[in-house]
Amino acid sequence: MTAELLLQSIQLSMPEIILAVGAMALLMVGVFSGERSTSMVTGLAVGVLIIAGLWLLLVTGTGSAFGGAFLADPFAKFMKVLILIGSITAMVMSVGQAREERINRFEFPVLIVLATLGMMLMVSANSMIALYLALELQSLALYVVAAINRDSVRSTEAGLKYFVLGALSSGMLLYGASLIYGFTGHTGFQEIAAVLAADERSLGLVFGLVFVLAGLAFKISAVPFHMWTPDVYEGAPTAVTAFFAAAPKVAAMAMLTRIVIEAFEPITPDWQQIIVFVSIASMILGAFAAIGQRNIKRLMAYSSIGHMGYALVGLAAGTQAGVSGVALYMLIYMVMTLGTFACILAMRKKEEGNVEEIDDLAGLASTHPFMAMMLTILMFSLAGIPPLAGFFAKYFVFVAAIEAELYALAVIGVLASCVGAYYYLRIIKIMWFDEATESFVPASGELKLVYGIAGIFTLGYLFIGGPIGAAAQAAAASFF
Amino acid sequence: MWSSEWLILLVGLPFLGSLLTALLPSHSRSAANWLAGAMALACFGIAISAYSSVTDGMVVRHQVEWVPHLGLSLTLRLDGFAWMFSMLITGIGALVILYARYYMSPKDPVVRFYALLLAFMGAMQGLVVSGNIILLAVFWELTSIFSFLLIGYWHHNQAARDGARMALTITGAGGLCLLAGMVLLGQIVGSYDLDVVLQSGDLIRASDLYLPTLLLILAGALTKSAQFPFHFWLPNAMAAPTPVSAYLHSATMVKAGVFLLTRFWPVLSGTDAWFFIVGFAGLSTLLIGAYFAIFQHDLKGLLAYSTISHLGLVTTLLSLGSPLAAVAAIFHMVNHATFKASLFMAAGIIDHEAGTRDMRRLSGLFSFLPITATLAMVASAAMAGVPLLNGFLSKEMFFAETLEQHRASVLDTVTPYVATIAAAFAVTYSIRLIHTVFFGPRASDLPKVPHEPPRWMRLPIELLVLACLVVGTIPGLSIGSYLDTAVVSVLGDATPVYSLSIWHGFNLPLAMSIVALLGGIVLYMALKSYLDWCEEGPPIFRRLKGQRIFERILVAVSWRWARVAERFLGTRRLQPQLRLIVVAAILAGVWAMWGARHLAPQLTISGVDPVLAMMWLVGGGCAVAAAYQAKFHRLAALIFLGVAGLVTCITFVWLSAPDLGVTQLLVEIVTTVLILLGLRWLPKRDDQIERHGFWVRLRRGRDFFIAVIAGAGMALLAYYMMMTPLPPSVGDYYLQHAYSEGGGTNVVNVILVDFRGFDTLGEIVVLAVVALTVFALLRRFRPAEDNSELPYQQREQNEYDSIQRDREVGETLKDYLLVPSVIMRWMFAAITLLAAYLFLRGHDLPGGGFAAGVAMAIGFLLQYLAGGTRWVEERLRIRPVQWIGFGLLAATATGLGSLTVGYPFLTSYFQYTEVPFIGGVPTASALFFDLGVFSLVVGATVLMLVAIAHQSLRAPKARPDRAVAERAAVEQGES
Repeated sequence: MTAELLLQSIQLSMPEIILAVGAMALLMVGVFSGERSTSMVTGLAVGVLIIAGLWLLLVTGTGSAFGGAFLADPFAKFMKVLILIGSITAMVMSVGQAREERINRFEFPVLIVLATLGMMLMVSANSMIALYLALELQSLALYVVAAINRDSVRSTEAGLKYFVLGALSSGMLLYGASLIYGFTGHTGFQEIAAVLAADERSLGLVFGLVFVLAGLAFKISAVPFHMWTPDVYEGAPTAVTAFFAAAPKVAAMAMLTRIVIEAFEPITPDWQQIIVFVSIASMILGAFAAIGQRNIKRLMAYSSIGHMGYALVGLAAGTQAGVSGVALYMLIYMVMTLGTFACILAMRKKEEGNVEEIDDLAGLASTHPFMAMMLTILMFSLAGIPPLAGFFAKYFVFVAAIEAELYALAVIGVLASCVGAYYYLRIIKIMWFDEATESFVPASGELKLVYGIAGIFTLGYLFIGGPIGAAAQAAAASFF
Repeated sequence: MWSSEWLILLVGLPFLGSLLTALLPSHSRSAANWLAGAMALACFGIAISAYSSVTDGMVVRHQVEWVPHLGLSLTLRLDGFAWMFSMLITGIGALVILYARYYMSPKDPVVRFYALLLAFMGAMQGLVVSGNIILLAVFWELTSIFSFLLIGYWHHNQAARDGARMALTITGAGGLCLLAGMVLLGQIVGSYDLDVVLQSGDLIRASDLYLPTLLLILAGALTKSAQFPFHFWLPNAMAAPTPVSAYLHSATMVKAGVFLLTRFWPVLSGTDAWFFIVGFAGLSTLLIGAYFAIFQHDLKGLLAYSTISHLGLVTTLLSLGSPLAAVAAIFHMVNHATFKASLFMAAGIIDHEAGTRDMRRLSGLFSFLPITATLAMVASAAMAGVPLLNGFLSKEMFFAETLEQHRASVLDTVTPYVATIAAAFAVTYSIRLIHTVFFGPRASDLPKVPHEPPRWMRLPIELLVLACLVVGTIPGLSIGSYLDTAVVSVLGDATPVYSLSIWHGFNLPLAMSIVALLGGIVLYMALKSYLDWCEEGPPIFRRLKGQRIFERILVAVSWRWARVAERFLGTRRLQPQLRLIVVAAILAGVWAMWGARHLAPQLTISGVDPVLAMMWLVGGGCAVAAAYQAKFHRLAALIFLGVAGLVTCITFVWLSAPDLGVTQLLVEIVTTVLILLGLRWLPKRDDQIERHGFWVRLRRGRDFFIAVIAGAGMALLAYYMMMTPLPPSVGDYYLQHAYSEGGGTNVVNVILVDFRGFDTLGEIVVLAVVALTVFALLRRFRPAEDNSELPYQQREQNEYDSIQRDREVGETLKDYLLVPSVIMRWMFAAITLLAAYLFLRGHDLPGGGFAAGVAMAIGFLLQYLAGGTRWVEERLRIRPVQWIGFGLLAATATGLGSLTVGYPFLTSYFQYTEVPFIGGVPTASALFFDLGVFSLVVGATVLMLVAIAHQSLRAPKARPDRAVAERAAVEQGES
């Protein structure tokens, strides 16, 4: 690699380099100034993420770097912006709870920055090796973050479970990737696609595809690799769960999109079957399993499983409209999720600290009208009721599926969202119609800000959706 | 010309009003009322002013681009039909707001009420003027949401909450179906614009997707309009405040369904599917609603079932498919809205004044409320279809239409009979309403003594009843032209010639009316005494409540099934989760195999070397045995696993990859030993757990089976891989150039130290970091001095020694595995020699720095195993950190060395050196690099080993779970 090429590569991956260098520098700051420095490290970490985001938006161009292993295109840019927003918001939201639960270690922001770095690399990964390395960087950071509350049995158990199951699924992914390499002789996505287009499929390749998709399905917590989600969501501290539910999902979905649309484009019918199956199973399980939940974090876990199913509906279409639907879905999903988790973090009683039962929301409308209003909007939106943002998210993926003539998928999706609407409405009913018990302590400013913005975004999507939709279209155009 | 921007105001004003009202302080009752009323009146005014622009089929359109390339724009479109609905929505809305001013109690939070009512009005208004079918579905769902909030307005009331939830569940689900239907419709037509859709009738009816589209749209419309079998939500929604009922169930909510059917009538109707589905739903609703209405004791319940029945009438008319029937349908929608709104308001007054709505308690109210009673009687007469009132006119048109033959079928034949019977029922319940409530003896046990309501509260009823009368007597002059505007906008060129006159001469429809009137009166006479004491609800059917069925299903699906499913499928334990993932992976593999079986080449087993086959048999057997023993004896399982690994290594050698084989072998040994050391951290066998018995065997058998299947699958896949010719890969390049450019024939080693030397440097750095981290982590594991004790095993040994008379403490340990440990100690020198051998020949033959390093580490490992930690460390000073440091330095220095002679970093220099007695020895500068690798591998492995070995010296004193309990107790004490 000549110096010129190297320089070009560095320019394209500058946001990632900022994050990598920043994370290491922050680690040093933390190590040498001890536990006292947590708030400073958190502030600096947010700063690093913002700088990376600004660089990404204002400076970074498009192109391929590091011998084709790293790709900076509009799709990656779109997804990376989402990831950065998700990480920053989650980190800001975590401050209050971290202090209360005594988990405000300086490692936390550093790990978040490292995980974010992994996610951004996942989005840009353009070869199997880059993909795997990025995925592991993200996963390893997340394993630790899940168990950050070492004094809590639930949290450590969640971390351990996530690690064991995650390692298993990474193994599957790696096995699949090695099969694909074995049969195509390449790791780069374009090269794989070229070989697939030229040769006829072989059995080994189909196996490779199946295992790669199985590994990726774990990362987006799609059925049948979803088991870890409720346990980890419930076990990890809520601030961590908020992070888990947003940015990593976006990154994994983006990675899945890139690999199937780019590398496996010539064998679309093969992966389409798998995606359709996974999508249907996730939607149905997400809809039914959430109903019986009493813990709101578990409920959100099943809700996220279902939402990944809906996003996959768009991916199953495999068209430009489908990919833009996925991009839009992830954006809206992330905003709704972050807003909802801001509300969950605000569920805090004087004596008991943070509470997580759905019944604790009883009578919220009379005790905290603003929060109840915002949470109601978010729930309606998660249920996909028009004209809120969640409706448009579903609308675009379903339309893409119908245009791709996947009628059964679309119909099952609509039915599942009917069932799914039920448990969101139950929360609304509890908030508005049940008698209030003990009220929560007033929410901190940053939480109010997050759920306020999320609620208003969701409510006003009808008016701001045009340019956002255009951006998603432009992002999807990178593949077609 | 009426400016199209006004349309935005028509939809936006109610929402704006809603927002403004919501911002008012909660005690400003009057201000909220005035604001809401002003908004409704303003909209009404706008709607009136639009009339001249929508006559003769003219259309006003206003379009705001949203996502144009997706065909999504916010289009508003007002035609005659939408105009008529706008008039109803805003006009009756204004009257309802006036009425609510007096109806709502001072205790009710009315600000929220008006805000919601206005928002609902806006949603409804948006629904009727949507010019984009997706927008229409959006507003449709909005009406569901706001009606939910309105019905549940008195949320302290359980019935209101249940009713609201049911209404939302049914209509919301219907709305989603509608949305899907709209998307399909757009898919067929290629546009979501209502105008385009309405012009594509033939295209839609001819499409393959017609039937699913129709079913989905009907699911939306029929749920909203409370048609059979979705009718049961409407009576439960009566728990809403009466102004809400008057509004929702006369002019708006339930009318949305028939509005939709009429809107799409030109493009969807006229097929068999439409005729039978819509006709069946309409006709059964017409009959069931009327029949059920007779047996209601709740005044509002009666009106609710009557509404259902009248909507069934409209639906039946629409099903017929003839333009004349559509005219009658539109006409009846207007008429029904007027008389039903007035009746609901009258019922509200009665409830308000008398304190009850139970018809068994109400009696002789005429003397208390003469004016209200008169108004209610006129409205009831209109409902019953008495001549000179508006209800009569549309009912006559309905009768006339039922007599026409539309589609030869049983359904068509029974229609006139059903219509007559339902009309008779309508007469019965109308008489019952009037007769029981207003006549008879004066009720004495009412909760309150009724009085005439305030003048302004009665005004809305007066206006509406006046409309009934005027339309009923002079239809042509009063409503004729407006109705025509609406009809033309729906039917266009197909508008038939119709007459609105009251008198058509003696004909069959009139005879049907007379039969119905008389029959209704007779039926009432017959049922009167029964109705006074019977239970609520019609005989027989009262036990079969749609509501109960719905709730049962809801509970079953939402709680019981979900819980059962979770109990069986969901788990919070790690082992089942792992099992599920493995099973899912197996199924995925099987599915892939099955799906792509035509791609599978014929696997022929030929030319198999019997020795290799024998070895594989042993390896496979050991793997199976390991799977079996995993549940019983971990050590045995591990040893079996080791043998299986060994066979793998030999296979590598067999398949002419000796370099890989050696590396694999050494790695295999190290990992086995490390696991062996790790075994002692696993919990001991728990005697509480049952170990025999059928279920235990079954469980273990299942896991064994899963393991064997997974292993066999992997083996098959591996075999298949080996049988398939592989595409050229990067490996070929190295195979070709290893000797010519790297000067070695051991390709793995050449890659490691030469071609990819820079990578290797990175890797060994990582290895060093990992070793240090493991060491640091395990040091933290070490319990504090006063908290630690000897591990359980050592304590047991010592105890045994102290009991035995002829033994001293420590003797058991000393004698432990005496012979093997002596052999192992002697092996040290041999292994060191082996390591040196592997290292030196590495460049050309299997071996190399990495292999040698691992071999050397095994030598140290064996010493620890044989002699124990203390024994080794008393005799041998290993400084792993120094080894690591030296290794890193050596590797880096080699790389830098090439810089001094002007080559890039890590360029290798190669030649053969003549050494006395030995001959030509390959000497590459890479050898020094390899030395670094060797040293680092030894250091890193031994460092981890030492850290683990030291764990055997002490164990934490207290049991961990007890510690957790203690900790919790301490924390509790603190707080």
